[in-house]
Amino acid sequence: MSFLPETRLEKDFEPFAVLREALGFVPNILRAQSLLPRLVEAEAMLEKAVRLCDGSLSRVRKERTLLTIAADRRDIYCVAMHSRVLSSLGVGEDQINQLLEDYRQADLPGPDLACLQFCLKLSRNAPAVGSEDIEALRSYGLTDEAIFETVIVTALAIYLCTLSAGLRPDLDSEARKLPPLRSGALDDRPGAGSSVDHHSAPGRKGPYVPAPYLSADTFAPFAILQGTHGFTPNFFRSQTLRPDLLKAELEAVNSILLPEDALSRLQKECILLAVSAANLNSYCVAIHSNLLRGLGVSAEEGDQIAVDHHESALSNPDKALLDFAVKLGTHFSDFSEEDITGLGAMGFTEEQILESVVVTALNNFANVLQMGLGFEPDFESPTAFEQNKVNLLAGIDSPMPVSSFVQTSAITVEDPDAGLVSQAQAGDLEAFEGLVRRHSQLIYRTLVAILGDPVEAQDAMQEALLSAFQHIGAFEGRSKISTWLVSIARNGALQQLRRRKHVESLDEVDSGDDRDYRPRQVRAWQDNPEQGYSKSQIRELVERGILQLPAKYRVVVMLRDIEQLSTDEVSRQLGLSVPTVKTRLLRGRLMLREWLSPYFSARAERAAP
Amino acid sequence: MITCEEFFAEFGDYLEGRVSPEVRKELELHLSQCRACHVLYDSSCKTIKIVTDSCSFDLPQNISDPIVDRVMAKLRTDRS
Repeated sequence: MSFLPETRLEKDFEPFAVLREALGFVPNILRAQSLLPRLVEAEAMLEKAVRLCDGSLSRVRKERTLLTIAADRRDIYCVAMHSRVLSSLGVGEDQINQLLEDYRQADLPGPDLACLQFCLKLSRNAPAVGSEDIEALRSYGLTDEAIFETVIVTALAIYLCTLSAGLRPDLDSEARKLPPLRSGALDDRPGAGSSVDHHSAPGRKGPYVPAPYLSADTFAPFAILQGTHGFTPNFFRSQTLRPDLLKAELEAVNSILLPEDALSRLQKECILLAVSAANLNSYCVAIHSNLLRGLGVSAEEGDQIAVDHHESALSNPDKALLDFAVKLGTHFSDFSEEDITGLGAMGFTEEQILESVVVTALNNFANVLQMGLGFEPDFESPTAFEQNKVNLLAGIDSPMPVSSFVQTSAITVEDPDAGLVSQAQAGDLEAFEGLVRRHSQLIYRTLVAILGDPVEAQDAMQEALLSAFQHIGAFEGRSKISTWLVSIARNGALQQLRRRKHVESLDEVDSGDDRDYRPRQVRAWQDNPEQGYSKSQIRELVERGILQLPAKYRVVVMLRDIEQLSTDEVSRQLGLSVPTVKTRLLRGRLMLREWLSPYFSARAERAAP
Repeated sequence: MITCEEFFAEFGDYLEGRVSPEVRKELELHLSQCRACHVLYDSSCKTIKIVTDSCSFDLPQNISDPIVDRVMAKLRTDRS
């Protein structure tokens, strides 16, 4: 049994079919992610593009690289899986054993050995890779495409090993014997208390392989990025040598990072920031602190998370989440089932734990890719502040370039639920059930917010789900299915509201009093207002506070601060303009503040809520 | 220095971390000198943190599951 429970996915679940066709079996590492099928889909997309086809590198060469890195990381699961695949590709037992023992003794041609040596350096100590390593590969006759594939296969190896450490899937074939641990093999990584020589870090900047210009007119994924970011980050622009790989990668990234059915986007960005920082990846630190800023986190708080999240203002569970991710991302050999149960004890669901493992794996994939290809930062504006902190963290004195990166909104693309939606439209009840379970929390919170009553909301939810099934055939895919489900729930709830005597409108009509509203003065609050109340007391206070808000504020506060959707997402979900959402959010928050003040102000009597 | 009125005009965006560095500087200067706005800002940040950390309106699995189960059972009976 792997660390987390699995659900049975249908036999013809497409990702499984893809893997079965290419490998002859479905690796257990995919089954170990079945709680969230979109994560299985993401991995299958990546694997299909990177590993399961012949490119400039043959499948055998790719698989040898994967095996060598897995053996170096002493990853028993990946070693067994890659050995099984190599065997099926016709590689003899002798060569497999030699690769496991010491790749240099395997009877391989010079360029292959040079490649493996490079991959191990990149996987063990990515910050030390520089243009000279790429030149060395070129001198062996490797083409740019082959170099690109070498780097991305290494990144995939790290992705798989991180997943394997975090999920511990059942082996796909008999365990292989690994040679005794050589000293220095495992702790040779930044963030793992190593003595890596950072001064040998590359002098010349990347990108190391050419990146032909791709226009957003002809390459659809860029058009999407342009639409949402206003520009295409170098991380993606530097991979245009292989549009096929880039496209698969973007799809996988989107289906892992965008949905909020398990972790919130904010939590995922915090993981990406904290683990990138632990991996000393300045480029990724810069991107993720800026993405966090777009999600409402101040620059200072972002810096604090990068330097030491324990000192940040994050909640204790979120700090534990980052401890978990950083340990998995950098000290993977110490990672154990206890880490999983520990996170569960902090209140995280199995889906959330699974997703945090996958986000950490994706982060390591991106960190390796960035350092192996040497993407340039998007904006050259290093801040001494950030630099100093990254250096402190790394315990090194040679400054690392940290650049800031201007970015506001999240990427929004195809709905990861699209597959389930079309099955549900064809009348598949299981698919419909999957969709509904995935979005039940969001639907419920919307209903509570509109109706102002948890019990009524539960009844309304049942009605909404029945109505959704009746009408799903009419869903045209112009929005995400979650938005559509919420709109069904919302309409039903509004009808119910209208039947009441007292009608509250959620419509766009702005009476002007929102804009003229001024907060009442209150006494200063205590330094640690939550102290002195139990978690359940706080929860009860907040719930009561939210329920007493007028519906139009309640809905916005619920979706933004409880459900933690972005402002843009709230505006889409409710069909309100962004300025209206902002005005109502501020007013709702200020009303809540006044309501909570008696409990938390400096001279407040500690009364039971 | 900007007035309290001007401060409040930017306040919503400031809480969301969506103001430019120049505006931020102005606002922070105001905050350092105006006690009333400082209290407003401090208590608002604490409110948001308390609310976001509160796990309010979590629909526990043991309530949501039966609801979905009932719906699915009804749909399956309707079908057969």
